[in-house]
Amino acid sequence: MSTIVWNREGVVEDDRWATVEGESAFVSMDEALELAATGGREIGVLVEPADDPARLKPILDRLAIIALDFPAFNDGRAFSHAALLRDRLGYGGEIRGVGDVLLDQVPFMLRVGIDSVETAHEPTARRLTEMRLPGVDLHYQPAALKAEPTNTYSWRRRAAV
Amino acid sequence: MYRYDEFDRDFVSARVAQFRDQVERRLSGDISEDAFKPLRLMNGVYLQLHAYMLRVAIPYGTLSSKQMRMLAHIARKYDRGYGHFTTRQNIQYNWPKLGDIPDILEDLAGVEMHAIQTSGNCIRNVTADHFAGAAADEVADPRPYAEILRQWSSLHPEFSFLPRKFKIAVTAAENDRAAIQVHDIGLQLKKNDEGQIGFAVWIGGGQGRTPMIAKKIKDFLPEADLLSYVTAIMRVYNLHGRRDNKYKARIKILVHETGTEELAAQIEAEWAHLRDGELRLPDADVARITDYFAAPDLPARAEGWAELAAWKKADSGFASWVTQNVRPHRHPDYGMVTISLKPIGGIPGDASDAQMDAVADLAEQYSADEIRVTHEQNLVLPHVALADLEPLYRALQAEGLATANSGLVTDIIACPGLDYCALANARSIPVAQEISERFGDQARQEEIGDLKIKISGCINACGHHHVGHIGILGVEKKGAELYQITLGGSADENTSIGEIVGRGFEPEKVTDAIETIVSTYLSGRSGTDEAFIDYYRRVGAAPFKEALYGDKAEAA
Repeated sequence: MSTIVWNREGVVEDDRWATVEGESAFVSMDEALELAATGGREIGVLVEPADDPARLKPILDRLAIIALDFPAFNDGRAFSHAALLRDRLGYGGEIRGVGDVLLDQVPFMLRVGIDSVETAHEPTARRLTEMRLPGVDLHYQPAALKAEPTNTYSWRRRAAV
Repeated sequence: MYRYDEFDRDFVSARVAQFRDQVERRLSGDISEDAFKPLRLMNGVYLQLHAYMLRVAIPYGTLSSKQMRMLAHIARKYDRGYGHFTTRQNIQYNWPKLGDIPDILEDLAGVEMHAIQTSGNCIRNVTADHFAGAAADEVADPRPYAEILRQWSSLHPEFSFLPRKFKIAVTAAENDRAAIQVHDIGLQLKKNDEGQIGFAVWIGGGQGRTPMIAKKIKDFLPEADLLSYVTAIMRVYNLHGRRDNKYKARIKILVHETGTEELAAQIEAEWAHLRDGELRLPDADVARITDYFAAPDLPARAEGWAELAAWKKADSGFASWVTQNVRPHRHPDYGMVTISLKPIGGIPGDASDAQMDAVADLAEQYSADEIRVTHEQNLVLPHVALADLEPLYRALQAEGLATANSGLVTDIIACPGLDYCALANARSIPVAQEISERFGDQARQEEIGDLKIKISGCINACGHHHVGHIGILGVEKKGAELYQITLGGSADENTSIGEIVGRGFEPEKVTDAIETIVSTYLSGRSGTDEAFIDYYRRVGAAPFKEALYGDKAEAA
């Protein structure tokens, strides 16, 4: 089973943070906090569903990338983590969705502020490679990803082109 | 009524196309049933015992004649000629083919309807008082706020994968007809001393295997803060609601385990960040949505008063129907008419395609083109002139829709039960039918008075048995169906959870047990003005236990 890393530009080859043969390059939040204190190498941190991403606040500018874990299709905590990282903590770096990432979640992930995803699910990888996303471009609520206001109601948005 | 604008139309079309693509991927094997399940559920498609089931959203239970005709058309073309109105003001079809569902959704989109979020672990169809916009006792129409919440919650990117389903109800009267205290969020519209509109906010109510009454966490939330505050509740729930056990995943458990005060404080802290942000509702937007719900033009029809009196005198059947099924409208020359979907011995909530078409015609002719679906599985024509009641009654009679039992013992709520549902342990519909037959005599029903019987075929409580004055819960014991009876439940402004009266009854003994309970009430009540629930609250369970079990009374 091969995994791909994908962002809005397309498939990312030889990504520095890609999982290789089951080996993840990300460290836990505790490890990240330690590493940041000691300085040195680039940090990619994995935020798990039960973690509180606000703990990263003091080290956000030391992070190269934040991975948000989607351990199962029905665990949606990472959607709120992304929203908090973008809207509340003002994190401007890359956020990646990892784990059980399936096609139909990807449009939602992009909207809450996730930039890239890693997936091992073959049909998902195929559709992402073809840049055929199943999302709806009209939104009834604001979200972290910049979108255009409409001339109708304050809560509506239209995907930026 | 709300009408789609271009944005809404394009959105629903895009959603239909998205679902068509998902169905195609499922049929081609690109996605497994496991992966497809949450996708189909988010669009109201269940896999039941015998077939797929499609649940169509009827936002806050409001329909036009044109929309009702489309529901009839779908029943005729894609199903077996009927549909089933649900306790969340929706309609479900029991026999559609999966491959047809995208076409059904396209037909629905043609009349500004959809099946978005009628199932799944997301924010479900927002419900409201079925007499909204017509009742004399409401502060303001609750539906504009339900519509704003419907829009905001549609395909919400952050809240589409919640720990569990999430139900919001809105009422605008002290007399709560929307059962807000058994919802995840209950909103009670009110005015403050300055005459400004706001909401009392309740959270954590629910039924299922752990019934709980909602707790009030805010006495007055200003109108402009509706979306930011609800977002704060949703975010705290999404992050902290339990995901280890689906039976403990509703917000009621989070409220219970965290403590109301502590959770309210967490919500308040989250809200502080959101309150002045993009979600603040501009007055002009609320006003524009409210305009859609402007009351229809109802001309004076004072002649109805004298006519009504004469008709009632001439026909006791009509008089009964008016007494039971017609309620005062805020316009004195009009009434709000409940069309019972509980014919004696029938299936609660079912309507045939012909009946739906007939109701559509009658709504057009007599009720300003408006129809409501109630959470008690009946329909309502909200704006009928008293002067039109007699011809309306005749027309309903011809369709088998003039049963005069609104609020009476045969106005039973029942879930689909083991006849359809994959979760059920026991049948519900045949139990409802037998009770209805037993108590079908009109004079006897009227003698008994207000009495709500609610039946669920399993502990998930879709038949709302916890809040029935008499609740019946079907369970499976040693491979056989057994029915537990609860007494004293209620889902209005004095919400209470019914208490189990004793050991359960075999299917063939349930109706006799109900008869015993009713007889106990009739012989013990202080007078005809003491309703069953009031009697129960006065005397408790003892006389019922005694009558049902005698000396052998024991806990279930």
